[in-house]
Amino acid sequence: MEKHYCVFVLYLFYSTISAKDESFIMKANIKENILNQEEGYSFPYPVYPEECTSLLNTIAQYASNFTFCSIKNAKPITLCRNCVENYSNLSKIYNELMTKVVNETTCGSLLISQDRFDVVLEYYDRITDIWNKGHCNDCFDFTNETANLSNNTIRFNKMAEDTMNCITSTYNLTNNTEEVCVRCMQSYISLDIFYKTLSKDSIGVDTICMDIVDSMNTTRSVWSKSLNCCKLRKTPEIIFLCCTGIISLLPLLFYVAVKYCGPIRDLPNVLKESRFKQSILRSVQGRIN
Amino acid sequence: MILCNTKTMNSNSNSSFNVEGSVSETTSDTAQLVNTEEASTSNYGQLNNHGDFQDSMEDDLHGSHGIRRRNPVQKIEPGSMNILSAKYESLDYDTCENHLLLDEERKRGYPFVVWKDMARWFIILLIGVITALIAFIIDICIEEFSDIKYKELKKSVDKYALIDKLYIPYLLWVLSNICIVFIGSMLVAFVEPVAAGSGIPQVKCYLNGVMVPRVVRFKTLLVKTIGVITAVVGGLAGGKEGPMIHSGAVVAAGISQGKSTTFNKDFKIFQYFREDHEKRDFVSAGAAAGVSAAFGAPIGGVLFSLEEGTSFWNQALTWRTFFGTVVSTFTLNFALSAYHGHPGELSYPGLLNLGKMDPFPFQFYELPVFMFFGAVGGMLGALWNYINFRLSVFRIRHVSAPWLRVVEACLVAAASATCGFLMMFLLNDCRPLGEDPTKVPLQLFCADGEYNTLAAIWFQTPEASVRSFLHDPIGSYKPWSILVFVVCYFLLSAWTFGLAVSSGLFIPNLLTGAAWGRLLAIIIQLILPSNSINPAKYALIGAAAQLGGVVRMTISLTVIIIETTGQISNALPIIITLVVAKWTGDFFNEGIYDIHIQLAAVPLLPWEPPPLTHNIYASEVMSHPVFTLRTVENVGHIVELLKIVSYNGFPVVDPPLADDPEITTYKRLRGMILRSQLIVLLQNKLYNENANTAWSNFTVDMNVFRREYPRYPSIDELEIEDWEKTCTIDLRPYMNPSPYTLPHRASLPRLFRLFRALGLRHLPIVNDVNEVVGMVTRKDIARYRVWRHRGHMGMEELLLSSEI
Repeated sequence: MEKHYCVFVLYLFYSTISAKDESFIMKANIKENILNQEEGYSFPYPVYPEECTSLLNTIAQYASNFTFCSIKNAKPITLCRNCVENYSNLSKIYNELMTKVVNETTCGSLLISQDRFDVVLEYYDRITDIWNKGHCNDCFDFTNETANLSNNTIRFNKMAEDTMNCITSTYNLTNNTEEVCVRCMQSYISLDIFYKTLSKDSIGVDTICMDIVDSMNTTRSVWSKSLNCCKLRKTPEIIFLCCTGIISLLPLLFYVAVKYCGPIRDLPNVLKESRFKQSILRSVQGRIN
Repeated sequence: MILCNTKTMNSNSNSSFNVEGSVSETTSDTAQLVNTEEASTSNYGQLNNHGDFQDSMEDDLHGSHGIRRRNPVQKIEPGSMNILSAKYESLDYDTCENHLLLDEERKRGYPFVVWKDMARWFIILLIGVITALIAFIIDICIEEFSDIKYKELKKSVDKYALIDKLYIPYLLWVLSNICIVFIGSMLVAFVEPVAAGSGIPQVKCYLNGVMVPRVVRFKTLLVKTIGVITAVVGGLAGGKEGPMIHSGAVVAAGISQGKSTTFNKDFKIFQYFREDHEKRDFVSAGAAAGVSAAFGAPIGGVLFSLEEGTSFWNQALTWRTFFGTVVSTFTLNFALSAYHGHPGELSYPGLLNLGKMDPFPFQFYELPVFMFFGAVGGMLGALWNYINFRLSVFRIRHVSAPWLRVVEACLVAAASATCGFLMMFLLNDCRPLGEDPTKVPLQLFCADGEYNTLAAIWFQTPEASVRSFLHDPIGSYKPWSILVFVVCYFLLSAWTFGLAVSSGLFIPNLLTGAAWGRLLAIIIQLILPSNSINPAKYALIGAAAQLGGVVRMTISLTVIIIETTGQISNALPIIITLVVAKWTGDFFNEGIYDIHIQLAAVPLLPWEPPPLTHNIYASEVMSHPVFTLRTVENVGHIVELLKIVSYNGFPVVDPPLADDPEITTYKRLRGMILRSQLIVLLQNKLYNENANTAWSNFTVDMNVFRREYPRYPSIDELEIEDWEKTCTIDLRPYMNPSPYTLPHRASLPRLFRLFRALGLRHLPIVNDVNEVVGMVTRKDIARYRVWRHRGHMGMEELLLSSEI
């Protein structure tokens, strides 16, 4: 059993080696021959340039930083704001990896898409996916490759903070939700209106940075559910119900009216068919007469 | 038994006429022109004289051949199913092989055949393109107008919901619905009533070979297009897919003729396609192109044409039809992609887009579940048909005046808005924003950041609602909201279909079905909490079941649904569901299109002859006294004949050997001539003063006959001088010298098959020596109808009336 296992591992090893991209081997062969002999290898074993491996280490470090940061800021969502540093570092270093030229080839072409595992690309894609899914770029203005909070974000954050401060302070002061609704109505509504102007479509979630969406959702939930400040919306609407009642009755009236007040029309006559049998019967009748 | 006595009996009959002194001077005819009592089935000018023979009652009672027979009635209630209208005429599918045709063939030769074939393909291409462009216009108008309407309504609701004045947006909605529907309804009711409804029944009749008046005119297309836009924008529970099929048919009929009677414009092209045969082939291709544009389903379009319509099908026509459907869906795709800003992307194949479905894996044990869904769909479909049938009968009896129909349509539009608004108001079903692509999220009484799900369904076109039901996650709707919605929409759609607006029933039924499919999925999920139920799967199956239960199509509907969802692997569940739905529905009543065709009293020929009818012979089926013409006939006689009877085909017979009224007056068949041909002959005054002079050298060719097609003047519009009535016409060059005939001992199924397979219009019945004894037309055969109800079946003989 164990023997078989060993053979299997060896076979795997062999096949991995032989499956290496041919172009890589072609390009790297001669140089590496020399390098390897210096390092004491007796056969051409592929070794990656120092520069590339150091970049790879950095990427690993940054990716883990970002992952750590993003999970830590998952709820409430402050991912975009708090992890932007990590993200921009990572994408910078990744771009460097892709463009860095060592021995006439780029590190990227040595390390990316060389095997079906493709760990580096896979992780990088996942991180960019997460970033883009939250429309995080929308929170920032990118100038000179450094991310600054955009004006809209700063303004929104300030307004949201004001609203929340107003709510908490009033609530602590009076312990009365009614009072909170009245006092903070102004700032809440201006926040709401400002939020709506941010969105490019009618739903307003496709393009806004997730930090803002989440912060707004929390505020709204506090406002309309915890504080129940939306109960203004539930009103009796007596006139409305009367109107619907009248309009639903109209068709019934219409049908009753046309049924009983319609003109009495002559019913259609049936055509007498001219068939062989009938014409014979008729002619017999005619003869008897 | 009757047949052995034929000779003596008939001589008796003739002598009896002589006694009554009402014999015309043309003793050579089998039937006497001026004899009122002898008037025949379609001669409704004189038929309904009420001084009946005493034997007529008794005769009606026992019927002609022991089948279930109508009550001996002289009057019928409008809206009965057991009646055929005598007003519908057949199409002439059979080619008339007269001398003129032979001349034309001789002159033109093979290059003309090739040219004609190429012209056919070119016309099909045009049909596909133009149908798609009409679909494009309809789609864009509906989308843009709905968008404006619902955006404005949303603004209004948002404004007035806060200040206890919800009746303002409500009345606004009602008013906008009424105004929009009023336009379309006025057009339909006053301008072109045949454009009402989906148009599929009418197209089906046309393809079956019945000339439905005005069904393929340009005016109809115009009314239909505007009508469907107003109906859907007006918020009625209707779809735009059925009207698309009708539009395709009209486009096909219009383009292939190269002229328009509406504009009185003859483009002098495609004259060789001006006959019923060619036109009908093009119409079947046009209907298919319409389906293809409506659903983005080219194969479904071809199959629809095959399943619902065309009686005559051949390989070349299939090819051309398929070409047309592909062109149509491609053009629509191209136009819509360009409109939506992705030219060349081609991601909008049809008007109805159910959205890409994932292939849903199904287990073996789910097949009974699908069957159950099919059974539910069949029963609900049958119920839907029944409700719509009762309403249609009521409408025929009491709501027939055009202005009443407009009022009714407006009331339904108001009721639809009421229904929607009440549901939004009473069921406070809220969902957080942004989980699905809601176009007009309406907050109403929901908390901030949420929207009312019912408002989202009502504030969009029904088509988008189907997509929501198919694709939203399982928790999106509360079961109670769905239940209320299903009940309301089911009733609303059954109420809407048959109004004086042009809208179809595909979308409303898909929507109802998708809703109850989703509801059942939620219930199954509650019963089996451990399984994860895919609501999309059951919503789709429910939609298919409901639609299948209403229209009772199987193959084409399956393929259409597969093509709109883009999943071939869903074929098995859908086809199982549809077959079960059809069987269940057929147990109770017929498909909605057939119900409407029967209510319209159209003599439609079914696929198969009635069973157990081999003992019914041609001698019983045929109309007996036949009006014939002699090979060389007197103009005065022809004019008189055409004025008195409404028949469209006359056997041309040899002159009798002896003018003795005492002897049998059956005469030997020489050919058949059509009323339209006679009219053209009279109109062009192609007759001689003297019967003995040779034929004048006036050049007559087929184009003389084609010029007037398809609307020939009536005989009363022709001016015939008195002196002309003594002239004679030699009918032999124009008549069809070899019409299909059957002997009088042929059985009904044999008659039926010949009639149906060849698309005949007239079938003379001859005796053993090739003498005309009777004539069979479509109505003579269509009056034998098979009924099926709750497992029983039988055959009934229908009545004919000329006043429906």
